[in-house]
Amino acid sequence: MIQVENLTKRYAGGEAVRGISFSVEKGEVVGFLGPNGAGKSTTMRMLTGYLPPTDGQIEVAGAKLPQDSLLVRQRIGYMPENVPLYPEMRVEEFLEYRGRLKRVTRGEISHRVGLALDQCGLSDVRKKIIGSLSKGYRQRVGLADALVHNPRLLILDEPTAGLDPHQIRSFRELIKELGKDRTILLSTHILSEVEMVCGRAIIINKGKIEASDTLANLEKRVQAGALQIEVKADPAVAKEKLSKISEVSLVTELNRAGEWISFEVTAAPGKDIRGEVDGLIKREQWPLREFRREKARLEDVFVELTQD
Amino acid sequence: MTRALWILWKREVGGILHSPIAWVLLTCMSLINGFSFSQCVAYLEQGVKEFTVMQIYFYIFHFWFLLIILVPILTMRLFSEEYKTGTIEMLLTAPVKDGDVILSKFLGVLFFYLLLWIPSLLGLAIFQTVTHQAVPVAWIPLGFSYLMVTLVGMLYLSIGLFASVLTRNQAVAAMISFTLIALLFFSGFLSYLVRDPGWREALNYIFTLEQMRSFSAGLFDSRPVVFYLSGTVFFLILTRQVMVGRRLKG
Repeated sequence: MIQVENLTKRYAGGEAVRGISFSVEKGEVVGFLGPNGAGKSTTMRMLTGYLPPTDGQIEVAGAKLPQDSLLVRQRIGYMPENVPLYPEMRVEEFLEYRGRLKRVTRGEISHRVGLALDQCGLSDVRKKIIGSLSKGYRQRVGLADALVHNPRLLILDEPTAGLDPHQIRSFRELIKELGKDRTILLSTHILSEVEMVCGRAIIINKGKIEASDTLANLEKRVQAGALQIEVKADPAVAKEKLSKISEVSLVTELNRAGEWISFEVTAAPGKDIRGEVDGLIKREQWPLREFRREKARLEDVFVELTQD
Repeated sequence: MTRALWILWKREVGGILHSPIAWVLLTCMSLINGFSFSQCVAYLEQGVKEFTVMQIYFYIFHFWFLLIILVPILTMRLFSEEYKTGTIEMLLTAPVKDGDVILSKFLGVLFFYLLLWIPSLLGLAIFQTVTHQAVPVAWIPLGFSYLMVTLVGMLYLSIGLFASVLTRNQAVAAMISFTLIALLFFSGFLSYLVRDPGWREALNYIFTLEQMRSFSAGLFDSRPVVFYLSGTVFFLILTRQVMVGRRLKG
């Protein structure tokens, strides 16, 4: 659906995007992740034909940019950051206008608008003036606008920015639902969002791609989690034996409660040491009352990849 | 008119008619027009025979002052607001050509501009009814006068549109277009002062007030028509160039 090669955007002040390449396959829901000012919006604006790239090739929805800009724009649904809308228009009227502009035929328009209103939970406010809507509803109008011409590819720039927790939750559900039969590229700097909705993440920092992989693989790239165990054993012996397991990189004693000692056992990146640790405990016949794995979180990956 | 242009134009006119500024302008225009017209009639009542009411009306100070002030106010928000609120991004990521966007804004504001002159037509109609004269308002000078109002309006509106694409600040846009329009309008008067015949002829070519005087007397001249139309096209193209340039800069 999206093929980007060596994409560069240079401004008078410097480079916002520095020769990035990535692709998004049909049916994927991909999170475009990065700290503020990493180049996410600039990249998305280039994908939607709004900004001409300084260098590089872009192919979106089977058409090349910037040559087939009109074709690309017709085939994608784009929700810009901050969702700019005309405040004086009514919701339904706005969607009809946008749908017609995106070449929905006169015969189909009311059906398409009705569908977009339903999907985004806007049916109750269809006659309201956009300027009087809350932020959450305005965000939905933006999404309905992106959907109204039934595009196969959605590009959403920070779709949940500025929403309250309830709104964020329902918005994510909506995006998940939409992702079932569409390709979605969404940018965000909220990590839990990617964890909840996306199958794959592209992490961008300072105009460069730092990583592009499934969430599971990304998590493996940093410490694949640490094990926390609490056993009854001699502290020095236990620590030594745990350290001897070949894939363990670090053993830290956390605390003692009577005879019980708890350890944090950290594995080498990408390794799973649960089996070995379990085997050791059984061989040594240490009484065990806690065995817990701290999952590596996307946040750790993110921080590790984007720190200076 | 292409389909996209028609949809954009409808939205543009809707946007203008939904803004309070439109109705304030329409009211003020009617007031000033009415005042100006009654002064013309008062002038004629003193027994003036050498001018028709139309010649006076389109020559009077109010009329031109209004035109120079009016256009910057009409055009200042056209692009500035879209850039300021970011709706320009939404607009230009829809499958529409830049040219259609510019043309729709131009034709939309031109439509409203022409609406604003309707009250002045009413004044002339009332004059016709009240005076019971056979042909006090002749059709040809009337047509020519409003043709001139349209042509001058087209050029000034395109200048205003150009100023509006330069900045996201409406006041700045208004000031730029006011300056350009005022310079263009008043430089015509220099033809009274310049001695060099070549320059004088050149300045006469852009002397809107004199052109209006001959048009409202029913004398047609094709040169101003060419001047205003080509000027309009020039500023519309310039607007497009700036719009493309702004995107290159990001």
